[in-house]
Amino acid sequence: MIYRIRTIAALTIREAARRRLLAALVGITVAMVGLSAWGFDRLAHGGALTSGESTLALPQSLILFMFMFSFVVALSASAIASPSVASEIESGVLMTVVTRPIRRGEVIIGKWLGLAALLAGYAAAVSVLEMGVVDWVSGYLPPNPVLTTVYLFAEGLLLLTLALLLSTRMSTLAAGVVGIALFGAAWLAGVVGFLGTTFGIGALRTIGRISRVVLPTDGLWHGAIYYLEPPSLLRAHSLGQNENPFFTRSPPSWVYLAWVGVWFVAVLGAAILSFDRREI
Amino acid sequence: MWQASSAESDGLVAAGGVPQATAPGEGAATTGSPRPSVSPAIHTLGLHKRYRRTVAVKSLSVSVGRGEIFGFLGPNGAGKTTVIKMLLGLVKPTAGEAMVLGAPVGDRRTRRRIGYLPEMFRFQPWLTAAEVLRLHCRLLELPRPSWEQSISESLETVGLAERAGDRVAGFSKGMQQRLGLGVALLGGPALVFLDEPTSALDPVGRHHVRQITRDLRERGVTVFLNTHLLAEAEQLCDRVAVLDKGAVVASGSLSELLGRHSRVRLKLSAAPAGWTTGLSAFGAWRTEGEWTTVEGVDPDAIADLVNLIVAGGGRVEAVIPEHQNLEERFLELLQEK
Repeated sequence: MIYRIRTIAALTIREAARRRLLAALVGITVAMVGLSAWGFDRLAHGGALTSGESTLALPQSLILFMFMFSFVVALSASAIASPSVASEIESGVLMTVVTRPIRRGEVIIGKWLGLAALLAGYAAAVSVLEMGVVDWVSGYLPPNPVLTTVYLFAEGLLLLTLALLLSTRMSTLAAGVVGIALFGAAWLAGVVGFLGTTFGIGALRTIGRISRVVLPTDGLWHGAIYYLEPPSLLRAHSLGQNENPFFTRSPPSWVYLAWVGVWFVAVLGAAILSFDRREI
Repeated sequence: MWQASSAESDGLVAAGGVPQATAPGEGAATTGSPRPSVSPAIHTLGLHKRYRRTVAVKSLSVSVGRGEIFGFLGPNGAGKTTVIKMLLGLVKPTAGEAMVLGAPVGDRRTRRRIGYLPEMFRFQPWLTAAEVLRLHCRLLELPRPSWEQSISESLETVGLAERAGDRVAGFSKGMQQRLGLGVALLGGPALVFLDEPTSALDPVGRHHVRQITRDLRERGVTVFLNTHLLAEAEQLCDRVAVLDKGAVVASGSLSELLGRHSRVRLKLSAAPAGWTTGLSAFGAWRTEGEWTTVEGVDPDAIADLVNLIVAGGGRVEAVIPEHQNLEERFLELLQEK
């Protein structure tokens, strides 16, 4: 079983390399990191901010940049996962594969692992580049770059898993669009929840909570934020500031992380079941 | 156990017929202690597929013996591809059951011994021809030391040896079809499904594929051939079934299918009045000058036909029996239906 899963995972990775998907992503990322390096340099050495202002501006700016990269990671995850089954069914590529002595579940797990490896590589590269460059030009390094990267990757992996499930039943385009739309809706529901908390509107607060359970991308993004926040930033917000899309008081709880684990297993299991029952 | 001898000697059982089938459990038992020479290569009983209101395949019962080339003929949309997909486990039947190489459809171990060339397909365009074959060597779990030889033999067989290192993206449709055939032949399958295998090929390519198909028969491989090219079926198949709107309208060996529907051309130098009386009993007839053609004559009745004419005072100078070709018979079957 491992052998067959590994075969499909290796094929998935090789496809990304051959299609120059990785090269394109790396090119865009390097350009964005270069731009951010220039911005951070201006922020740190431009002379417009006092040292006290810098200690708040640098981490908040880094959170904003990492937010942008979290979008890129999530959108890339959806973009690579949505065609992985749908387009291969449409083109007939999968017909010659699934008639071999391989279980359909092994095809899905192999693809998931291959795509997850690509995503992990990209999330790690983005984090190292961005945080490394910021450290280099401004001397600021967030408190836990590793856990930030892990949360960034987990957020992308979540969307990747969802897009893979959608890809077993929808066309490539539909799976991609629905995946990205759900990701956007989950983020917006997080903002709605923040407004509900700020203005004491219970219904809006509930929407935010429910969305974090149904699609935990926003919850994981807040995990990434927490490990980007230095103590100075947490102290500055200690006067009753509520969570918002770019600030959080505490890391996700173990219960929440356990739920995310259950979510992964359930959605991946649904993808396997769905593909197993799919007529090709 | 399988009533194999019955199935193989009786040949194909058309839709609606009831072969001496085994209980599913008996068939399953053969996978534990296989007796591949005993069970038919393919055996279906009441295989049925419905897509909402559309019936794609109607209660199909067929039996294909080991080592034969079985032709599945029918117009576009007749349900031929759906049958192959059900036999490969790609599509789930609405009702009925099927055994392939003595095992239930979809059995993972049995899939090692099955080759499949789909009608509409593509290989990974970013792989080279040799890499596609290597991937399938892995999927088939062939012993690694045998890969290179299997790959070069396969490429050689389908005439792509010189394109081994070229990416599939640059292949024409015909070359992809050749590669598909090469992939289907990997690992020495016992059963090969070919779905319109020559549809994208030029005449030379078609000839080549037909030769490969004959070679498979010589090696004892069963070939299930879906085609709408009747000349191809006529040249290759031991037995055929004609499918229309999901149902088998005729089946049997080619001689069975065509032999009882001969045409006779008669040249009469003297034809007394009323000589055509009784001619209609032998078949539909028409006269053009000295020649009279009688359609649908039973070959055994040709002598009686001549006797009738002579007894009526006619003088028969020539009798030319002509067998109907498959295309004519095919069209006739579809019209009859």
